[in-house]
Amino acid sequence: MRVLPELFDLRVKARSLAYLFTAGAGLGLLTLAFPHDQTVRELQLVVLAGIAVAIAGVVYVESERIRAWQLHLTLASGTLILTFANYYAGASSLYPLLFTWTALYAFCFFSLGLALAHVALIGLCYAVLLVIQDPANPIVRWLLAVGTPVVAGLLISRLVERTGVEAGTAEQRERALRQSEARTRLVLDSAPDAFITLDSDGILTTWNVAAERMFGWTAVEAIGKPMRGLIIPPEFRDSHDERRRALIDRKGAVATEVFEVVFQRRDGSRFDGEATVSKVVIGDEVIISGFLRDLTERQRREEERVELTRAQAARAEAERVAEMMSGMGALVDAALARPRLDEILTNLVEGVQKELGADAATIFLAEEGKESLRIGASSRGTPPASVEPIAFGDGFAGRAALSREPMFAQRPDAADLRDPGLREIEIDSLLAVPLLARGAVIGVLEVCASPPRRFTADDLGMLRLAAERVALAISHARIYEREHQLAVTLQRSLLPQKLPELPGLKVAADYRPAAAEEGVGGDWYDVIPVPGGGAGLVMGDVAGKGLAAASMVGRLRSALRAYALEGHDPAMVVQQLNRLVWTEAAGRQMVTLLYVVVDPTDGVARWVNAGHPPPLLLGGNGRPQFLERGTSVPLGVMPFPSYEEVSADIAPGSTLVLYTDGLVEVPGAHIDDGLSLLAEQARRAPDEPKALCDYLLDRLIPEGGAPDDVALLTLRNVPIGDDFRFDFQTAPEALASMRSLLRRWLRHAGGGEQEVAEITTACGEAATNAIEHAGAGGGRPFEVSGRLDGREVDVSVRDHGTWRTPREGDQGRGLSLMRALMDTVEVQPTREGTTVRLRRMLREAGGNGGSE
Amino acid sequence: MKEGLVGLEIEERGDVVVARVTGELDIAGSARTGERIADGVPTSALVLVVDLMELEFIDSSGIAMLFGLARRLGSRRQQLRVAAPPGGPVSRVLEIVEFERAAPVDPDVETAVAGAN
Repeated sequence: MRVLPELFDLRVKARSLAYLFTAGAGLGLLTLAFPHDQTVRELQLVVLAGIAVAIAGVVYVESERIRAWQLHLTLASGTLILTFANYYAGASSLYPLLFTWTALYAFCFFSLGLALAHVALIGLCYAVLLVIQDPANPIVRWLLAVGTPVVAGLLISRLVERTGVEAGTAEQRERALRQSEARTRLVLDSAPDAFITLDSDGILTTWNVAAERMFGWTAVEAIGKPMRGLIIPPEFRDSHDERRRALIDRKGAVATEVFEVVFQRRDGSRFDGEATVSKVVIGDEVIISGFLRDLTERQRREEERVELTRAQAARAEAERVAEMMSGMGALVDAALARPRLDEILTNLVEGVQKELGADAATIFLAEEGKESLRIGASSRGTPPASVEPIAFGDGFAGRAALSREPMFAQRPDAADLRDPGLREIEIDSLLAVPLLARGAVIGVLEVCASPPRRFTADDLGMLRLAAERVALAISHARIYEREHQLAVTLQRSLLPQKLPELPGLKVAADYRPAAAEEGVGGDWYDVIPVPGGGAGLVMGDVAGKGLAAASMVGRLRSALRAYALEGHDPAMVVQQLNRLVWTEAAGRQMVTLLYVVVDPTDGVARWVNAGHPPPLLLGGNGRPQFLERGTSVPLGVMPFPSYEEVSADIAPGSTLVLYTDGLVEVPGAHIDDGLSLLAEQARRAPDEPKALCDYLLDRLIPEGGAPDDVALLTLRNVPIGDDFRFDFQTAPEALASMRSLLRRWLRHAGGGEQEVAEITTACGEAATNAIEHAGAGGGRPFEVSGRLDGREVDVSVRDHGTWRTPREGDQGRGLSLMRALMDTVEVQPTREGTTVRLRRMLREAGGNGGSE
Repeated sequence: MKEGLVGLEIEERGDVVVARVTGELDIAGSARTGERIADGVPTSALVLVVDLMELEFIDSSGIAMLFGLARRLGSRRQQLRVAAPPGGPVSRVLEIVEFERAAPVDPDVETAVAGAN
């Protein structure tokens, strides 16, 4: 008996046992309440009932934790208590019947073996009791007390077992059937062929997924409809009906036929197909099933297979050749590693000459869109590109280009030799092979042998293989060169074409693409003249490469220019840019940016650093210093970061260096090492910004290019001397720059605040006139020059326009201002333009204030 | 609000409108600043005080703008007053062109506002 005990867990079994003990004890006590013999020992029976109830209590409470062996022990103890109860109750009592309770419990809750063990214990205990009490008919009593529960228990267990098995089997069968159906469905649906079934009337009853795919009808649409109308073209429907009837009429329960037919899809298109059709008879029912295949698919696959075989054969052939030409292969690979086409060609001719044992080798290149050749490279020295082109058909190489066939010649005519290098050597034999790429002649490979070396026609095969390789290398190199050029052009277009000229400041910048560069880098720099005569310096780096980075650079660049020209503070400008990056690519695009505004008048730089490497300040004392204050998070990582503006003095003569991390990233070294290297080099570098740029790039970028793009921008606050001369655009915006320069110069000259302001105002009026009268000057710049003559300031504003005598009123106010503010004002109109000369003696003690 | 080199804030104090001009006034921004000030003075206002206390630079185009304002306000029966720090470069220019003939120049904004009332 296995099933029943397994239906209950130990908790249920324990509680049932507790109930059994309680019931037994209760029943025992109940018998004492009724009239009974004097021989019954009441006290002992009450004690036993108490023990039974106590055990029941413990078992009940511990039912959650009880173990199987504890359960058996408890039941055995019950049997012993019962034996003692029988003893104290006397032989005449009906207590032996209680033994059947424990026995039935064992049969219900324990496996058959253990249940029989308990019954054996009961039998033994009762036998001992019978021997002690010695009643009448002891054997009958024993058999009744022990045999009854055994028979009943066995019956119950058999019955329960049977029911369980029956139920289990039915369930299993059903599950198996469902699985089988699903499996069949799955197999049919995943079958590459369409599978359909028809009844004897030709109505569709099955339509799998492949059928849906093949014919365009879904199962829902197809099932229940006659097949002939659905997938058989009209003219074949009668023959289809005949075939179906013939199949049904064939004798036997199963019949299969294969035939080729034309099918029709839902959209009316037709295709050749193959049908494997079977008839199955089940009882009275006839089922026709069919596997339908699309033969066009099979035909296509067959073609593909043939093509694949051919390609594999070709590849095997190519690999064989490649192996044979491994020397040539190596030379091509080596050549392609070179960055420039001419270097690749030179490398190729040298390689070809060596591999073929030739005395000279020449590559002629076809000019794009023309039927002419130029010498691309010669092992005997490549002539300059200015040499006349060779028309197709001219000379030996030209004839090879025109005929597109390999050529072989012995003792060629000197006139046929178009490589001037060959005219100096004696030539025995000459080979030329056209270089073909995508069916077009892109050049000619020519090799020659001097005596005693002699080429034979066999060498032509070798040269042809070399030519294939060389043609491939050239076309790859050209594509690479074109793409690289495109990338560089795009990158350059994002950088300023020309840096603005700023009074009192000198800027220079350079950009070096990475060594192995295919994409477009995200580095950029810019110099923007900001309102007030200062310079806005931008150095930024958009993470990543390619078009996404480049377009982000483009947008940031124009946005930054717009904000800067509106005159916003650096912090405001950078905040606006962060908003732009965040809204366009929240958290996906990261940009580091350094925006510095340099005011030459005060000699102050104010900047905001959004996660960029710190600018380097080269002070007049020669000690480079990184401006590390004020660094905050890059753009695009937070919606509202706070950008702090910090400032530093840029005294006249000092230089500011801005760069991208490519300049300070040394592979395998810490960034600090790169920074100290930069500082070290900058300490010894020349002052002049352009020379400084070149110096740093030459020393910090390894031979052949840096691993990453490098942008570098330098600005020098040029010390102003006693004399100056500067050109300004005839635009209102130039006035602020001019004033800025003038104030600086006047302070240098020792002017007091009042004097500086007044002279600046007067010169501003002269400059305003120059701008307003610029029409005739065709927008040519006006010149401001200053001279310090002892304590006298002498400023000239020279324009190319026509002087107009100011009328009275608003227009004339400028001139009266100049006269009131300066000692002398001279207006000298000439044919080329007008010069206004303004002079004034400085009287204030410089910077101490006080009036004239 | 700042546009180029010129900053402008317009504030109404009852019948008095105070226009605070900062930065540098030259031909790049004078005319436009004048228009914006004129647009910012409602017809209900009696007096406009142009606050030049923190203006760093003014040239003849700025002066022309102030004269223009004085004329425009006069035709609307409104009064113009200008506040500029005495002894500073702006006052010096105002003195040279005798701006006092067109409108009173006060040493600070409070005096100008009080003078208006």
